[in-house]
Amino acid sequence: MSARDDDLTEDSPEELFEDAPCGYLTTRLDGTIVKVNRTLETLTGYARADLLGRRRFQDLLTVGARIYHDTHYAPLLQMQGTVREIAVDLVRADGTTLPALVNSVLRRGADGEPRAIRTTIFDATDRRSYERELVRARDREHEIARELQRGLLGGELPEDPALDLAVEYRPAVAGVEVGGDWYDAFWLSEREIAVVVGDVVGRGIQAATKMGQLRSAVRALAATGLEPGPLLESLDGYVRRHGVGQMTTVAYTSLELDTGVLRIASAGHLPPAIAEPGSGASFAWVGRSTPLDATLNPGPRAQAALTLAPGSAVLLFTDGLIERPDRPLQAGLDAVLAELDARRGEPAAALAREVSDALVGAHESGDDMCAVALRWTPPS
Amino acid sequence: MTSVLTRNNVQVHGDPGGRPMVFAHGFGCDQNMWRGVWPQFTADHRVILFDHVGHGRSDHRAFDQERYASLEGYAADVLDICAELDLHDTVFVGHSVSSMIGALAAAQQPERFGRLVMVGPSPRYVDEGDYVGGFSRADIDGLLDSLESNYLGWSGTMAPVIMGNGDRPELGEELTESFCATDPEIAKHFARVTFLSDNRADLARVPVPTLVLQCSADVIAPEVVGDYVHRHLPESELVLLAATGHCPNLSAPEETAAAIRAYVGP
Repeated sequence: MSARDDDLTEDSPEELFEDAPCGYLTTRLDGTIVKVNRTLETLTGYARADLLGRRRFQDLLTVGARIYHDTHYAPLLQMQGTVREIAVDLVRADGTTLPALVNSVLRRGADGEPRAIRTTIFDATDRRSYERELVRARDREHEIARELQRGLLGGELPEDPALDLAVEYRPAVAGVEVGGDWYDAFWLSEREIAVVVGDVVGRGIQAATKMGQLRSAVRALAATGLEPGPLLESLDGYVRRHGVGQMTTVAYTSLELDTGVLRIASAGHLPPAIAEPGSGASFAWVGRSTPLDATLNPGPRAQAALTLAPGSAVLLFTDGLIERPDRPLQAGLDAVLAELDARRGEPAAALAREVSDALVGAHESGDDMCAVALRWTPPS
Repeated sequence: MTSVLTRNNVQVHGDPGGRPMVFAHGFGCDQNMWRGVWPQFTADHRVILFDHVGHGRSDHRAFDQERYASLEGYAADVLDICAELDLHDTVFVGHSVSSMIGALAAAQQPERFGRLVMVGPSPRYVDEGDYVGGFSRADIDGLLDSLESNYLGWSGTMAPVIMGNGDRPELGEELTESFCATDPEIAKHFARVTFLSDNRADLARVPVPTLVLQCSADVIAPEVVGDYVHRHLPESELVLLAATGHCPNLSAPEETAAAIRAYVGP
């Protein structure tokens, strides 16, 4: 061992304590400070004579941090015997604020009863300002994505005497990134409309922009007169060429307002639920194929056509309506039919809203949810 | 629809034929707060513990910003539990903000309640005119800031557990060691509702005898506030505990239980 190393190991326990690279304090159970080190004096600007027996640890905190201490920190310490990495603001002797990270352990006597609390305090000024930046950035991105989503989903729904059409769209809650659910409804020709519901994989701004691109692509392709199946084939090509929206699921339907002919092509999306007068609601498991650009050779996309009975209600939706951790998928699907049956006579807006309330509840969800309801009543 | 008992993680102990005693936790934790107190009443009481929605092991999906926008929503939950278990002549023991939740519940359905015990109550935390609650509006913003700072690492790992997502069982174990975990958005929401509520006028409507347990050196609910509560309740007794701080149910469970016992009788 060199002479230099000897110098280091001769650091006395006293020096290790006094000049440790963190503030150190021991308190009684009520927080009264009984021991501090030199680093703590430096960090807080208090001389130990001002602290020992005269102040409690919580007296060194800002009022907000103090409430947090009394309602969270102290109870946790009591229950767990240790609390780690808690962010609090201390008030220095000169009134300035010291953002800190603190750890505490409960020291027990030989009888196992708590005797004292040992606390270490780290200056976290830089870390805290960085964390605040991160929080601000997260909130900003969330806000942008939400705005984007709102903007992209805007627009008038087609109106016609033969048609009652309404949308219930509930974005994921604040604090959670927006998802990529979308809906659209537009005129294809003078007496035919398209109704589309889709779900892009992913979250945040990226998902919102992809959703916007696909929604526009669907509209553009629909304007060329393609039927639902061929439209999805072209959409596959678009996804492949632009690398946007792989594994997106989308249900594309068209409805002739004079005849009630409903054409369906679904790329891996949940089936439309249909309630015809006089019979129970059921899913149209027809015209189905894989999600967009899911396979190298998707081949021709399936398409089906059925004719609605006058007065029929149709519900298109995304998985946010049925997915709940405490409920199997099938139970969710069964619930959609049951709720649709129970409300089949209601106007589309009430139908979409009430089915959503029944399935998702009024409480907040971590996922987007979209339900489009329509009722077709032919001109007499 | 989940049942009330699941929604609020209701736990029942003790003598099924005994007088019901409901323990309600305050802001910042869950029913674990009572672990040193409730076992002392199981011999002759039907002891009922629960978590407010959004806390502990309640059904966090049942959290609804509108329902819980005021303490009335939490009081409605208490009454749901009373109805579900058919409770009468109940001793309701509320810590901190749950003292006021108990007061609201008792005012609505007096027939359910026999006695209230308020541990560290405050009907109004923010100073207003001559009234001293102990805090300013800026202090409460500071608390919200503290909550935000301490939940930075929360959402990623804790959310699936809290939300009852069973596909990561290893997180469940972590949770059992991490008391009082709650969703940060819910915690902030509850903090706002708690610290910005004003229930001073409700005190006069409390229809049953009430014990006010006041801690020494409690900054959250100082003695002047405990005294205010005592003076404005129609029928109350004020007991000053030697215990310091805001959580005597944790720091001095024996003393807390003894004071409750002395009030409700053997």
